[in-house]
Amino acid sequence: MSNDTTATDAFPQAEDLSGPLLTVKDLRTTFSTPRGDLTAVDGVSLELGRGETLGIVGESGSGKTVLSRSIMGLLPRSKTTQSGSILFEGTEIVDAPDATLRDIWGAKIAMVFQDPMTSLNPVVRIERQITESLRLHTTMDKAEAKATAISLLGQVGIPSPAERVRAYPFQLSGGMRQRVTIAIALACSPRLLLADEPTTGLDVTVQAQILDLLSSLQAERHMAVILVTHDLGVVATRTDRIAVMYAGHIVEMASTRRLFASMAMPYTQALLKSTPRISDPSHTRLTAIDGRPPDLINPPTGCAFAPRCDYATEQCRIEAPPLRTAPEDPTHLFACWNPLQTGHAGTVTTAKGEL
Amino acid sequence: MSAESTPLLTVNDLVVSFKKGRQVVQAVAGISFDVFEGETLGLVGESGCGKSTTGRAIVRIEEPTSGEVAVEGRQLTGLGRSELRKARTSIQMIFQDPVSSLNPRRRVKDIVAEPLDIWKTAEGAERDAIVREMLEAVGLDPDVAGERFPREFSGGQCQRISIARALVMKPKVLICDEMVSALDVSVQAQILNLVEDLKAKYGLTLVFIAHDLAVVKNVSDRVAVMYLGRLCEVAPSDDLYALPAHPYTQALLSAVVEPDPEKAASHVALTGEPPSPINPPSGCRFRTRCPKAEERCATEVPELREIAPRHQVACHFPTLRA
Amino acid sequence: MEPKAVVPSRKRKPLGKVFWISVGWIGLVFLLAIIASWIGLEDPNNGDYALINAGPSWGHPFGTDDLGRDILSRVIYGARVSLIVGFGAMAIGMTLGGTLGMIAAYRRGAVDTLVSAASYVMLAFPALVAVIAIVAFWGHEIWKITIIVGIASTPLVYRVIRAATLSYATREFVTAAKAQGATDTRILTRELLPNVLPTVISYFLIGVATVIILEGALAFLGLSVPAPTASWGNMINESRTYLSDNPWLALFPSLAMFLFLIALNLVGDTLRQSFDVQESKL
Repeated sequence: MSNDTTATDAFPQAEDLSGPLLTVKDLRTTFSTPRGDLTAVDGVSLELGRGETLGIVGESGSGKTVLSRSIMGLLPRSKTTQSGSILFEGTEIVDAPDATLRDIWGAKIAMVFQDPMTSLNPVVRIERQITESLRLHTTMDKAEAKATAISLLGQVGIPSPAERVRAYPFQLSGGMRQRVTIAIALACSPRLLLADEPTTGLDVTVQAQILDLLSSLQAERHMAVILVTHDLGVVATRTDRIAVMYAGHIVEMASTRRLFASMAMPYTQALLKSTPRISDPSHTRLTAIDGRPPDLINPPTGCAFAPRCDYATEQCRIEAPPLRTAPEDPTHLFACWNPLQTGHAGTVTTAKGEL
Repeated sequence: MSAESTPLLTVNDLVVSFKKGRQVVQAVAGISFDVFEGETLGLVGESGCGKSTTGRAIVRIEEPTSGEVAVEGRQLTGLGRSELRKARTSIQMIFQDPVSSLNPRRRVKDIVAEPLDIWKTAEGAERDAIVREMLEAVGLDPDVAGERFPREFSGGQCQRISIARALVMKPKVLICDEMVSALDVSVQAQILNLVEDLKAKYGLTLVFIAHDLAVVKNVSDRVAVMYLGRLCEVAPSDDLYALPAHPYTQALLSAVVEPDPEKAASHVALTGEPPSPINPPSGCRFRTRCPKAEERCATEVPELREIAPRHQVACHFPTLRA
Repeated sequence: MEPKAVVPSRKRKPLGKVFWISVGWIGLVFLLAIIASWIGLEDPNNGDYALINAGPSWGHPFGTDDLGRDILSRVIYGARVSLIVGFGAMAIGMTLGGTLGMIAAYRRGAVDTLVSAASYVMLAFPALVAVIAIVAFWGHEIWKITIIVGIASTPLVYRVIRAATLSYATREFVTAAKAQGATDTRILTRELLPNVLPTVISYFLIGVATVIILEGALAFLGLSVPAPTASWGNMINESRTYLSDNPWLALFPSLAMFLFLIALNLVGDTLRQSFDVQESKL
């Protein structure tokens, strides 16, 4: 696909192959609401390499979904203001004209949503939902597009794809529908796949199947994936790097192994400790995080997590901590004045969270 | 848990079927279990396995087709309308969707007081005192929360209000149907801890229905695994997770994702999805997806039998402990 | 322990000036219609034959009609007919259709199938033709018109209220109430009614506007309240022949009807939106 470039984008493409696939710089996304301006994404910067998998983890309201939609350029223009920059293969996404975005959507960046029932059109056969973007972005004719659609359904593990391609979404189970949305997303061999809670609401067995499928397709196609989720379990074994978001900020980012081995941010630790584990004996007391995320219309001064943090000091409440690098590992970033001791991250506990 | 000989809640050969067009779907196809006083029984399985229907049939929101449900030896099935209404105060239910569980147009204090108003058990100052006590018990400030409407609360707080309402009549049994699956992990932990505390404080007996195996293990004393309307395996939770005997339980456990990169990514042996309950497989219902299935599984329904103390399994070829 | 409910109480969005002006206008029309007999208006039914088809003047601010009757007085007395027919018929329609709609949506099953089928049969019948036929046959006193139009509106109201109830009847809070031992009556009145009420109110006002137009249509066919009683519909109908001689005769009752209908629709619509917004905040 990189060989058949048209004259107009030949130059940026040639230049880009070396650099990162996606560069987000100081992105700020603000919605105007009746109560005031809500900054959902507040100064986020990140880079994503080709073929890399990045997990974005956070609770609802942390800005993880808004961030992924901003990258896609999918947010409504009215009532949304954006600053900063999102460069995808050299193309600026922030405030890009619709024509530019249309060339990118589906063809270069594709998205898998949480709810396959609402992201699929209920009255259109699966065949047309897949071939639509093929016909739009490639020169395939009808027959070729249909053949590709059937082959895609086969690749995402749908049995008897030649028959299923004529089905409507309601004739499939939830897991099958999510496979179809993945097939649609993959139709034009995108460079980047954004998966926003792709397995939330699915059964554990189906969840594992879908995650396996995403990993194998990604390896085959050398595609970058951003996996957005609230579940640390989902990202633990399936990502190269993880970014933890809280109140619109990235509060910690590191390679997956590094993050779990020596997390620096008390919030990351709290999130991990509140997740029940199958390997713990039953009735293991969970460490719940006190309170709730801050109101993003009137965010607190200082560190946004300070009111719920066991380690917060006076400094945390006054001054917002900048994102800085860990001394031992320059790729490990965190925003905390009192980071957890490296190597002890998994063992430091307090009982404040108990009821 | 107390090891009393008479169970508090008994479910005996419960069957619930629905009509779907001309066909009859058996959502629950004859299941039996006991729950002892002060115990938490977890009920897990994939969606469509009948676990929620079982919970709803126990409180008779769903009418059982046949079988018996008894609380403290008293039959719930077969009760007339007004007797059933009375019996319902001893067995309460909490639902999955925290927002839809609360009437959006009523104040929190009236929502919590609803059972008291229905039964005229308490009026005036006494009623207010009980409501305050319950709201405090679930971790909400009665002065702030009481006058507000459900829309002003987050999902976790709405679930707390639901719990307060369910406990206001001091029930014996609480059925929790996916009560934390719509919540964020941090809030989920708060609610799970709260449930454990309230269980101890009010001496509750719980049936905890969920699809998340880690959550179920955390709160349950015993766990029952359901597949396509039948029970596969019932065992004390630590036993079940350490030594699963049924191939389906093993498959479910292998699919669990753990927040630990050092553990290999889970790969399910299980392919496909459960067959339709309209036309379930003969014999063992799991045989179509079972790696161990043999001819016998197609002809003979495996009965739930004890393979170790308090560990029951319905499989012809269970994995027995060494 | 979770800090006590910290969510700021969300304030209602103000309903706006236009809303309150509309409410004021509806209130004024009501007030005038009620006190019409005591504010020294000219006799609406006996005119001054010396002053026929006169334009507005100090004595007759809206002018007089072809029989010398005061148009202002007739417009105000005419409001009585429009209000009685409009609000009366909708009250009948809401009571019948609303009750049936709520019960059908809550109980489902055979009750729902039966009543819904009946509503479809009635809806399949051209309502206006049916109303005209029955009024022509039975007579056109004001109370008869009110009852007939009220019953004719029942199936439509039934469908709207049934749909509104249905979206709540399937929610868990209804199940929860049942599980606590609440009776059906209690669930209908305490759990469902408060939720359906916004739809009832906004649909009621828009329904009233529709019925007032229907009264006008009946008047055009000479089937509204019998002469000489004034109604907005009757007045517009009578003005047809004198349109070139006396445009005031058509203008004032039309204006009264137009402004009143706009006000009703605005209030109904604003209320509906305001309820919708609150709902979407959930």
